[in-house]
Amino acid sequence: MPADAALLEAARARARALGWDDGLIDRALEHGYGADAIGGALDAKLAGKQASLFLDRPRIPPDLTWMQSPTEWGVRATPADAEHGLTVADIMVGSYGEVPDLWTDRTEIARGSHPAEGTIEDMGYTIFEKAIAWAPSVADLYEEAIRERWAAATDLGWRSLEALPEDIERAICQLMTEQSERAYAQAVVLGRWLPEISYGFVELKLFLGSVIYDLARHAEAFRKRALANGGGLGLQAPTDLVRGAAEARSFPELAAYLFVQDSAMLAFFDEAGALARNQLERDLYALAARDRARLMRYQIERLASYLEAYPDRRVEQHLYLRKAEIRMAREWRDPAVREPLALLLGGGRDGMAQGEAALLAMRRRQVEAYLANLAAAGFERAPRLHSALRAYVEPAAD
Amino acid sequence: MSATPETPALDLSWLDLFDEPAAVEPSDRGLTLEAIAANGLAAREDAPRDMTPRLRGASARANAHRQGLTYQTKADVWADQCLALYEEAVQRQWSSARDIPWGELEPLPDETERAVCQLATMLAEVEFIAGDVPGQWLPSISGDEFEVGLFLMSQIMDEARHTDVFRKRALANGGGLLAQGAGLGLRNLLDAKDFTEMSVLMHVQAEGFVQSMFRMGELIGPTAADKRIFRMAAQDESRHLAFGVMHLKHVLAETPERREEIHHYLDRAEERSGGGSGDVTFPPVFESLAILLGGGRDHFDEGVAKFLLLRRRQVREYLHRLDVAGLGDRRERLGPALTPFAA
Ligand SMILES: [Fe+2]
Ligand SMILES: [Fe+2]
Repeated sequence: MPADAALLEAARARARALGWDDGLIDRALEHGYGADAIGGALDAKLAGKQASLFLDRPRIPPDLTWMQSPTEWGVRATPADAEHGLTVADIMVGSYGEVPDLWTDRTEIARGSHPAEGTIEDMGYTIFEKAIAWAPSVADLYEEAIRERWAAATDLGWRSLEALPEDIERAICQLMTEQSERAYAQAVVLGRWLPEISYGFVELKLFLGSVIYDLARHAEAFRKRALANGGGLGLQAPTDLVRGAAEARSFPELAAYLFVQDSAMLAFFDEAGALARNQLERDLYALAARDRARLMRYQIERLASYLEAYPDRRVEQHLYLRKAEIRMAREWRDPAVREPLALLLGGGRDGMAQGEAALLAMRRRQVEAYLANLAAAGFERAPRLHSALRAYVEPAAD
Repeated sequence: MSATPETPALDLSWLDLFDEPAAVEPSDRGLTLEAIAANGLAAREDAPRDMTPRLRGASARANAHRQGLTYQTKADVWADQCLALYEEAVQRQWSSARDIPWGELEPLPDETERAVCQLATMLAEVEFIAGDVPGQWLPSISGDEFEVGLFLMSQIMDEARHTDVFRKRALANGGGLLAQGAGLGLRNLLDAKDFTEMSVLMHVQAEGFVQSMFRMGELIGPTAADKRIFRMAAQDESRHLAFGVMHLKHVLAETPERREEIHHYLDRAEERSGGGSGDVTFPPVFESLAILLGGGRDHFDEGVAKFLLLRRRQVREYLHRLDVAGLGDRRERLGPALTPFAA
């Protein structure tokens, strides 16, 4: 007893020093708090008000009903591939891996957790049907994006750049100005759609987050190249194509519309090494192509899933594709788009005639790649391809 | 029929748009956004602007479309450190798959595992919104302040990783996802109608509260993997917070007349006991934290005491950050749910 009394007196002294109410400790004991609670509060050096908030009321035992939430207790996710670590695909275990065709919860509930019914506001999501935006590989593509991350500031050989002939440098800079804006604008458009996607499709949102971040780095890296070697920024990119993406009224429209540009861009970066004047540019184009290849895989898979789920929406897709084709073809004729490429492909201003021919061939391959991507998604567009693009794949009979 | 696209006559006027050559030099941090903002290309209040997708410094096209309304004043969105914060984000990306020692997870007492999983469930929810909010604001940012946009894009990636790492934690050790959060006050982040309102509520307040919790991760996390998750996530949150604090500072310095308006946003948000993603008072979150901090259900009351310490840290650090931003007078009008913790 004397030992307890001494302890209690010591506790009271500490409480006084912390400015606790007189008698708080005794009241706390009456309320049913034990030595660990009082000692814990003293150890935490709670101020008077905080201590009262805690100890000056009857002790309410914890509710702990959340502990009874049904879970798949005992289901453990483990890495399928030790090298890759614990991936998002690895945690798609048991019911947690089931992505419903129709998600009905309007709140921000984490898919697979126990709903708090009727107590949470509608978060305003609009995408509840899986086939609207989902693609089977999104979880893998997301982890791939993380494994393949790169940093423009430090992964490119900025110090290796050497002075180039003025017309060449300016052509590169004009191309970079354009590409930087296109990448940035696409990231902005995609970002605006994130709040539309419900939690049923969390893996898709993760993947789109990685796409937005990839595009940010493209915008950054292209701008850096424009400014790194004495050239500077040129004329802003044409605005028709990007404007059409911002006009999309639904995610399927956006995806179909972007399919055209995404195809053309990937084909372009795949062979842009031919335009490069140095290792830095070769690396930059290759990195951009690798990132865009993931996006293209998503686009093809998404379109295929979408068409399968909504066969009645098939014909409608031609409208969005056509709109993008017309705008892209118009931009391909723009002097500030066409001429820098011809100049680079021709090796300088003097070689622009050969450059124009090489560019036509590149454009043809871009259109072919686009049609092939659509075909891979099970969509036949070739017969209805807009004449402005058809011109590139069906050269004049002479 | 002849379909070959005609080759128009050369124009080449774009070749004449370039200024005198001015190369920029990489530093030991590589070629950074700060380096390329030299030579008259830094963000400026008085630079000619438009609402087209043009990024700052490019020559304007006479026929460019407007792309929708964007802020036309630098102070509305700017934070001085956003260039450095973006570069830091790129350098410090991590992988929730490979940088967390998942292999070291071992079976925990049931109640501890449930408590970790409850906390992870709440955070998997909160982090999901934290990516949506910056996404929502991207179209409002002018290309004249594109670095702000780049920063927000890096935040979207960070928040994706946070969403996924907490989901992984819930599923990695046999626990699973528990109760959905209720009344976490997340809607108010999406409801913001102004960039500064959003940034103060999300970056400074909500992410600040979350950060104070992550910083106590050494005490909260029962395993090395848990502690590391909190540490890595805290590293990211410190950037998001820094953006918010620096943005607020910029706004208050450039447009001091907005002070009362900003207080008003906080008045409302603080009514919800601190609202936003920092609401740790929701019973499942409060109780799971008390179990983790106390070291088991048997030490629940001890855990509550430590929880109050966490609450105090949250509120004090919140006030300190506001003070740094120039809103030190917040202390005098702090919401009633927070005042007991300001001492
Ligand atoms: Fe976060
Ligand atoms: Fe954050």
